[in-house]
Amino acid sequence: MSLAAEAFVSQIAAAEPWPENATLYQPLKEDQILLSDCASSLAVQAYLRMCGLPVQVVGRANAEYMSPSGKIPFIHVGKQVVSELGPIVQFTKAKGHSLSDGLDDVQRAEMKAYMELVNNMLLTAELYIQWCDNATAAEISRPRYSSPYSRPLSYILAYQKQWEVRRKMNAIGWGGKTLEQVYEDVSQCCQALSQRLGTQPYFFNKQPTELDALVFGHLFTILTTPLTNTELAERIKSYSNLLSFCRRIEQTYFEDKSS
Amino acid sequence: MGAVHAKSLDPLPMHGRDLGVSPDDLVETPELEQEAKQEILENKDVVVQHVNIQGLGRTKEDLLGYEISEVFNARNLIDVMKKAHVARQRLLRLGIFKEVEVLIDTSEGADALPNGLDVIFEVTEIKRLTGSYNTMVGNNEGSMVLGLKLPNMFGRAEKLTFQFSYGTKETSYGLSFFKPQPGHFERNFTLNMYKVTGQFPWSSLKETDRGVSAELNFPLGVTSHTLKWEGVWRELGCLARSASFAVREESGHSLKSALSHTVSIDSRNSAIFPSRGALLRINQELAGYTGGDASFLKEDFELQLNRRLFWDSVLSASLWGGMLYPIGGQPTCIADKFYLGGPTSVRGFGMYSIGPQSEGDYLGGEAYWAGGLHLYTPLPFRPGKGGFGDLFRTHFFLNAGNLCNLNYGEGPQAHLQKLAECIRWSYGAGIVLRLGNIARLELNYCVPMGVQSGDRICDGVQFGAGIRFL
Repeated sequence: MSLAAEAFVSQIAAAEPWPENATLYQPLKEDQILLSDCASSLAVQAYLRMCGLPVQVVGRANAEYMSPSGKIPFIHVGKQVVSELGPIVQFTKAKGHSLSDGLDDVQRAEMKAYMELVNNMLLTAELYIQWCDNATAAEISRPRYSSPYSRPLSYILAYQKQWEVRRKMNAIGWGGKTLEQVYEDVSQCCQALSQRLGTQPYFFNKQPTELDALVFGHLFTILTTPLTNTELAERIKSYSNLLSFCRRIEQTYFEDKSS
Repeated sequence: MGAVHAKSLDPLPMHGRDLGVSPDDLVETPELEQEAKQEILENKDVVVQHVNIQGLGRTKEDLLGYEISEVFNARNLIDVMKKAHVARQRLLRLGIFKEVEVLIDTSEGADALPNGLDVIFEVTEIKRLTGSYNTMVGNNEGSMVLGLKLPNMFGRAEKLTFQFSYGTKETSYGLSFFKPQPGHFERNFTLNMYKVTGQFPWSSLKETDRGVSAELNFPLGVTSHTLKWEGVWRELGCLARSASFAVREESGHSLKSALSHTVSIDSRNSAIFPSRGALLRINQELAGYTGGDASFLKEDFELQLNRRLFWDSVLSASLWGGMLYPIGGQPTCIADKFYLGGPTSVRGFGMYSIGPQSEGDYLGGEAYWAGGLHLYTPLPFRPGKGGFGDLFRTHFFLNAGNLCNLNYGEGPQAHLQKLAECIRWSYGAGIVLRLGNIARLELNYCVPMGVQSGDRICDGVQFGAGIRFL
């Protein structure tokens, strides 16, 4: 989003309180959604739950195309449509809900840096495994991605998406990586996160922030999603404090609400 | 019109050598025989012995045989000329000749009958490949259009056309192959492949279609039919970030595979300013039966009646109607629905701005009807009569129509009632300009009536251009 649009959105948003009928859109949960989209969607859901903002999750086959930025997920609040975690955090902040207000400038910069790390490493690794690993692409990603469409459109859209992601991977220098190198990157990222977390309950001690929501979204999804092999989940499982971090957020923000 | 040369109908008396000077005359005959033959041809029956076509390059002769065979049936000279003229028109209609000249001559040679005639068609073929390019600017967009045409591709009047438009925002293309049945040009077959992009600001909608279609045209008695199959990959998107959520929900890809049939009867004397005759066109489309995501049945008709009144004025009445019936419980797509309103249908209302809407974006309807009553008269005091002034008409009109969504559980009675209530109508007067024989421009003063909340109106002067008019 451009700065002007962002400013405009926040101005309008500030005027209205959070409505009851706020909705979050994502691809169909059972047949369509892919690891990376599921992770991004879960991160936003975790963030909104941490803020105490109710949102109804709706699955739509065309969620990707409904989103103004083409990215999953997006929320429909009043007359506003906002997509992706970053802009959604800005949006809720304009409405007076923020998790990072208690942090000082240094901590805020650190939080942004770790969020970038997660997006650059975990999200990119998920995309790589989904679309650049031939076995995963053929067995999981392409069939699931194209499941709402009839042939031959399903083939066209799936290959178009795969081509698009591969082109992006080549542009950021991931095109030449092997699967093993990607797993290694994930391990390094997890190690950095694990060290930063230490024995604290959340990354910035007692209170969760958007970084916690983002990390939880990705790690929890990787741990719970079956892929062609379990290597990716295994890499995360070797960091026990990250596992208990995921369990803590799940118990605090997801299980209470549902029971 | 090419010149039809026939020696015997020449009003001037012919004196041998005079005739030889004419460049069209390929045969020189002795003076005496000339005079004798002239008399014979005027009074007696003739036999067409040979029909030759000169100037053929890649065109296959068997195709032309069908077009010119009637000439052999001519029994006297007037008949020969008439039939040759018809044959010439038929040849030009194929669109493969730049020029066709007809030459009628007395038969020559050993087997020549005394009353024998030869008819010679001198044709000039169109080039194998023709091209065009032009640039267009408008709507904050510039584009370059490149066109290529291969007329007479395989020598039997097949036509291959390709058009490519490269714009600053969108590119589009179309490739089409046309093949007529030899001897029956109206029976033809067309294959198309295209990509087109449309922007519909009244719905804040953007649509990109990529498709293939096969089409069969044929006449049957006084009716003409079109059978068509079309497979389209449609991509819908919002035109702006501010688009309503109802339109946003329609975004994404869909595949439509549809069979359609159109029958039309047209007895009008002109497509744009008819003074008599009627037009009836019925179109039906069945989508989903041959695959694809969209499944519906769509029926649509158009009726127009024209009657000449006093002083060259014409009374014209037209009625349109249509219904979209979703099959299999699937909601219908915004791109398949009907839209109504604007300077070409129910005048006095904004372009396609009648009926269901959400946050100012018009969503179209599943059923509609519209009727119009026009009185066309020549311009007052008839300036430029017989020339430029004939391109104009003044008209007084009364339009009415309605567009709504149907709940198919309620039965036909409820539908008719729904279409009969809240009727939008308008009246007014204006000037119409004919552009060629396909399009027209209108400048009208309109008074919209029966406006419902949500409709966008255009009270006062409204300008419109289009090819299909209520």
